[in-house]
Amino acid sequence: MVNLIRAELLKLLGLPTAWVGLAVGTLIAPLLALLNAGSIRAAIEDGSYGFTGDLAYNSIQIVMLTGLILGVVTVSSEFTPSSADSPGDRQLTTTLLAVPRRSRLVAAKGIVLAGVVAAQGTIAAVATLLLVEAEHGGSYPAAEPARVAGAVLEWTLLSLLAYALTLIFRNGIVTLTLLIVNAGVVSFSWLLLKVTTLGAYLPDIVGKHMYLSDFGDVRIHPVVAGTVLLAWVTALLALAVRIFRRREA
Amino acid sequence: MIAIDGLTRDRGKTRILHEVSFQARPGRVTGFLGPNGAGKTSTLRILLGLDRPQTGTALIDGRPYAAWDRPLTVTGAVLDGSGAHRSRTARAHLRWVAASNGLPRARVAEVLDLVGLTTDAGKRAGRFSLGMSRRLGLATALLGDPRVLILDEPINGLDPAGIRWMRTFLRGAAAEGRTVLLSSHLMGELAETADDVVIIDRGRIVADGTLAEVVGTHPTLEDAFLAHTAGEGTSW
Repeated sequence: MVNLIRAELLKLLGLPTAWVGLAVGTLIAPLLALLNAGSIRAAIEDGSYGFTGDLAYNSIQIVMLTGLILGVVTVSSEFTPSSADSPGDRQLTTTLLAVPRRSRLVAAKGIVLAGVVAAQGTIAAVATLLLVEAEHGGSYPAAEPARVAGAVLEWTLLSLLAYALTLIFRNGIVTLTLLIVNAGVVSFSWLLLKVTTLGAYLPDIVGKHMYLSDFGDVRIHPVVAGTVLLAWVTALLALAVRIFRRREA
Repeated sequence: MIAIDGLTRDRGKTRILHEVSFQARPGRVTGFLGPNGAGKTSTLRILLGLDRPQTGTALIDGRPYAAWDRPLTVTGAVLDGSGAHRSRTARAHLRWVAASNGLPRARVAEVLDLVGLTTDAGKRAGRFSLGMSRRLGLATALLGDPRVLILDEPINGLDPAGIRWMRTFLRGAAAEGRTVLLSSHLMGELAETADDVVIIDRGRIVADGTLAEVVGTHPTLEDAFLAHTAGEGTSW
């Protein structure tokens, strides 16, 4: 298994798209914190900012993009044709010849993904929070390590969710549409939440309760939120493994 | 030693393999011959654990491919092209494959040299010509110094020098005692390379024996092939 994990780490970090994902998630949060510093400071001073309890955590939310991108890329790269001349020539064939036991392959990919996302998430979160502290220190409750850990855990679990979905659909576009567009443009989960509180337990938003104290009208304890998200991820990964094992390569 | 026994496979409602059975022995090049769509690739994919048969077994040295712990040290296979991600360099591709089976990193340079890709090792796989992709696929197959080689249409895309190189290489591999199974629809090429020939036509094995046995009284392997397949390949 150590060999497999080493190979999957080499594979993931050997992809230019993975580095784009790492750069995006690591640089955007501190950059936005810097760019928004003036307007946030003004809003806090004139009282229009409102609840400042989540100021620190709001600044790091966007770090989750890296996990989503890497979760997709680790699978979609397997299905990319090696050249336009031969669409059937894909890395997946090499992967399955090297590692024919598919459950072990899925496990190794998942371990590498979770490790990379957790490490990058921690670095990006700490860097951003230090910057926010330098800009707004004293005007908001300082970040609690347990909640920051909750945020990193949410990103890690969301990356595994993206991984499972891409494995099921064999296509990164579907996953990105579901997770990024849903999170950023029109949120189906958010709309559903207006109809029923059960919407708050959908996987793309439930994890926010692990680190934000004011998110939507429903209050969910961080441990409950983490457990629900973990259950979603476990169920989708189990389904992905089942499909991947049965599917012809 | 490759032992294929009673493979049957359906695609949708069509049976594409009918009780396919044959063996490929160590120290010999076995040519797996058939028209396009006859079932060559389907058989090889089942042998390599990529697809599943409805019935039958396909064993490499007595075990299914997937049962080997570090399969690349037993079997090297070349299917379609390089099998590398287009944005990865040849060297980076070989490094992860080597790592997956616990193979020493030094093997990467050795196989690159063996297939003549040393100077292109830093080039991305997406920029490779068809011939270079084939060579990279072969380099990948050779990483584990396997005793069994399985190649699907290995000379497709190779130039005349590449074809000669491949022929010499495969003969050398068999001379070292390795089991070599290669599929092809090019009879002239197989007649020069293979010791044993298995002919498949519309999913059924129609001839199996040494090259001399399969050619029999026919002037060439091509004539024997057309007789065994009733000349029902592509009609022009």
